[in-house]
Amino acid sequence: MTISWGNIEKILTYGNMFQQGLIVTVLLALCTVFFGFFLAFGLALMLLSDVRPFRYLEKVKTDDINKKKRNDFIAKFNPVKLIANCYVQFVRCTPMLVQIFLVYYIVFGFITLPKFTFFGFIQFERFFPAAVALALNSGGYMSAVIRGGIEGVDNGQTEAARSLGMSKAQTMYHIILPQAIKNILPAVANEFVTIIKESSICYTIGVQDIMFNVKSVQSATFIIAEPLLMATFLYFCLCFPTSKIIEYVERRMRQSDNR
Amino acid sequence: MTTDNTALIKVRDLKKHYNYGAIKALDGVNIDINKGDVMVVIGPSGSGKSTFLRSLNLLEEPTDGSIVFDGRDIVNEKINLDEFRERMGMVFQHFNLFPHKTILENLTLAPQIVKGKSKEEAEKKALELLDRVGLKDRASAYPVQLSGGQKQRVAIVRALCMDPEVMLFDEPTSALDPEMVGEVLEVMKELAKEGMTMVCVTHEMGFAREVGNRVVFMADGNIIEEGTPEKIFDHPESPRLKDFLGKVLEA
Repeated sequence: MTISWGNIEKILTYGNMFQQGLIVTVLLALCTVFFGFFLAFGLALMLLSDVRPFRYLEKVKTDDINKKKRNDFIAKFNPVKLIANCYVQFVRCTPMLVQIFLVYYIVFGFITLPKFTFFGFIQFERFFPAAVALALNSGGYMSAVIRGGIEGVDNGQTEAARSLGMSKAQTMYHIILPQAIKNILPAVANEFVTIIKESSICYTIGVQDIMFNVKSVQSATFIIAEPLLMATFLYFCLCFPTSKIIEYVERRMRQSDNR
Repeated sequence: MTTDNTALIKVRDLKKHYNYGAIKALDGVNIDINKGDVMVVIGPSGSGKSTFLRSLNLLEEPTDGSIVFDGRDIVNEKINLDEFRERMGMVFQHFNLFPHKTILENLTLAPQIVKGKSKEEAEKKALELLDRVGLKDRASAYPVQLSGGQKQRVAIVRALCMDPEVMLFDEPTSALDPEMVGEVLEVMKELAKEGMTMVCVTHEMGFAREVGNRVVFMADGNIIEEGTPEKIFDHPESPRLKDFLGKVLEA
């Protein structure tokens, strides 16, 4: 196999295919992070929730220590947290490829999506399941980040707010979240970079992202190496500047802490 | 309990245990806090002073016992805890100002969202109080721009903005540089003079003696001795207190 300028010139005539792939990849990553963030936020709140239906058992007075321990154990049971935890573990402990197939072939095997294209070339019935699968996946991962960001705010802040009579919700909204967002945003932006790369897996269900177009160009021209190099170049050009911008913003935010 | 009807806060048999009784931070504390009391709580570290103070507004949930505030048992009755907390101001060792809000916003947030005051009303009161602690010109600054002493004065004002009936101080001067302790104690003295009910955990024996009308000595999760400053400092009875005072006053 050789890499030649001739081949590169030849595949450059398919430039608009790569351009379309680029748009699909970026759009997919944006949709994923946007919806994934809301999912992650909901999951994080579930993980931090204090819904304990058997809480009253804590208050039951008994002299038997073992019975007391058993009561306290049951009192800790939090169904909302359990559900969120199960979901996160499912996402983390199964391959992304399997998750995408599950969503595309099983979930959207039952639900028929309308067939239409938007922006002239993006097939909704493939793009949408891919975005859903990626969002479900990255939501699971991001929930840990968001929970960490919220827990990272000094406990004294909560105590101060509660001692002033603020409710839990008011404390969260006015005091904790504005401070947590500084911890969370850079990580979410990094997730965007990760998704740009991971979304390449979506060509397996026919989403016309960069990788899908690589395959198309390969089969149209019988040139194998150069389209791949082209894809490598495109992914790098997307991810490198983005992560540099995030670093810069992060640095600025840290400086503003010491104002 | 008919004799102490005037007590604002009645603490009865208050217990806080960890590990099923292996560690007893509070082991059956009984005390009445009357309106207008300036109660200073002293004692060696780990004696349960802070736990006791934090239990009063249930930042620490007691294992057993009762705290009756204004006629209602806030530990055992089903009550709206937030409503009770807004009647008890609390000042922390590490100030705990909200770093993302200006001083004025720190002071006016809770009156607005908890008490439903208008912005103008809340700001008027906040500026008035800020003026009294000499920090009116820093209203638009952020907490990081203030010194420790200034932060703590703001924290006191923040609690006062809620018109509390009791002020709880959790070692308010322990995190301060020595030269800033005075300015904070000054504000607390002013408050005491005005008749505010105060419970103060502190290591400032001078303050305890000068301002407190009751001094409580705690050790091992219990109140060992309680009385006027003269009684505690000049005529201590229990060996634990004598030992403690020997160590503190010597230093």
